[in-house]
Amino acid sequence: MTIEISIRNVCMEFPGADGVKHVLDNISYDVQEHHFVSIVGPSGVGKTTLLRLLTGLMPPTSGEIHVSGQRISGPPKGLAVVLQDYTRSLMPWLTVEKNIALTLRKQKLGRANMRERIESSLEEVGLAGTGKSYPWQLSGGMQQRASIARALATRPDILVMDEPFASVDAQTRFDLEDLVLKVRDDFGITTVMVTHDIDEAVYLSDEIVVLHGKPAQVRDVVTVDIPFPRSQMATRNNPHFAELRTHVYAMVRGLE
Amino acid sequence: MHSVDVLRRVPPWIISTLVALLVWQLVATVGPAAESSIPTASEAVLALVRMLGEGATWLAVWETIQMAGLGFIIAVLIAIPVGVLIGLSSFAFRSTKFTFDFFKVIPPIVIIPITILVFGPSLQMGIFLVVFAIVFALAIQTAYGVRDVDPVLLETMRCYRQGVLRQIWYARLPSAGPFIAVGIRIAAAAALIVAVVAGLIGGAPGLGRELLLTQAGGQSDQTFAIVLLLGILGVLVSRGIGWAQRRVIFWTAS
Repeated sequence: MTIEISIRNVCMEFPGADGVKHVLDNISYDVQEHHFVSIVGPSGVGKTTLLRLLTGLMPPTSGEIHVSGQRISGPPKGLAVVLQDYTRSLMPWLTVEKNIALTLRKQKLGRANMRERIESSLEEVGLAGTGKSYPWQLSGGMQQRASIARALATRPDILVMDEPFASVDAQTRFDLEDLVLKVRDDFGITTVMVTHDIDEAVYLSDEIVVLHGKPAQVRDVVTVDIPFPRSQMATRNNPHFAELRTHVYAMVRGLE
Repeated sequence: MHSVDVLRRVPPWIISTLVALLVWQLVATVGPAAESSIPTASEAVLALVRMLGEGATWLAVWETIQMAGLGFIIAVLIAIPVGVLIGLSSFAFRSTKFTFDFFKVIPPIVIIPITILVFGPSLQMGIFLVVFAIVFALAIQTAYGVRDVDPVLLETMRCYRQGVLRQIWYARLPSAGPFIAVGIRIAAAAALIVAVVAGLIGGAPGLGRELLLTQAGGQSDQTFAIVLLLGILGVLVSRGIGWAQRRVIFWTAS
């Protein structure tokens, strides 16, 4: 297996009014190509900070992050993001298809290819025919599908998601979870997701990285050895699923 | 059909206008102002109808609109680009805010003597006053809007490797839209007021000067007719801006 993302001895400190805040301490972890990896941990542990380092939005205080063998110094090529707050990451003044088109400009696709790319992405997420709508005309779940479509349209190698399903209702959440698994299979995307929801992490992931402590360290890396394809009913009823979620839950809570 | 039903079909603004005119009429005939020189509502309305038949009135309206309009357009053309530039840089924002706030609160009236010395009681003077009255507040408002852009949106664009210029054009400017719209609404009303004041105090041509002349000539019915006319103009301007606003920044309604 090839390593897609390599996190090497990453530390992160933020200067603050009451001295330096040490958030991440010597984090090392490799994400395999095509894997689905979840980052879990207690609130405020630094999950999102680690994710922001992966996207190249800010550099780590020390340590290195490599994507496809290259050390990153900004958002790397082939990276797509889906954030929790879809209302803030989609532009309300552009239609769904123009939101998608905006991120495709760098790819120099030409008109017809661009159209095709947008439509097929919308179709992939079950939003065919809504390209002319504005995001605020769609439901929350549909808006999050639109952000996923935007991510897919760029044909990314890596998809980074920050609590992507935290703001949608439970039913929609299950649908979207299955959608990202399908997308991962269809496109072979390497996916890294931050989530609070341990069930969700177990259901979706190949591996779960548990962060714990202040500053945060990698407490454990849990391999989810439940075969794919997974299904909301069968997988969640699997006794091994229950074991894994109990194990991860205990570690996040610091009970183990 | 019931008379109540008929009443319901009448737009509320017509009812309130009629009530206001009726109160005015009573105050000026039997009420506290019966002995004063204040004309009755009917006299003012009749004077207005008469004046609308005269070319001079329309010329004065045109001069006022020209003054307010040109001043407004010039101010917008200066304030929005300047506001955007200031808003883009924290240093520029912090260093200009004091100066702009300072100029923002100077009432245009106090610089009328200077402007008369420079321009004379002319259209140019009025335009200058209008620009002065609104350009600073509008620039600050624009700068605030540009700074108000959602950081999540900018980070999303950065993750998708969108350059700084595209971030400005596609994210910062539209984000500033609602702020600019509020500024423009206030500016348009202020432009009209200042254009009238420029005539009333500074002798610039237009409805303001007509107010001054009719008042000096003791034609109080005409003075009040002009006030009515200004009121109508104000409503039309405000409606027009509101209409345009709903179309340009359509996304804020929902």
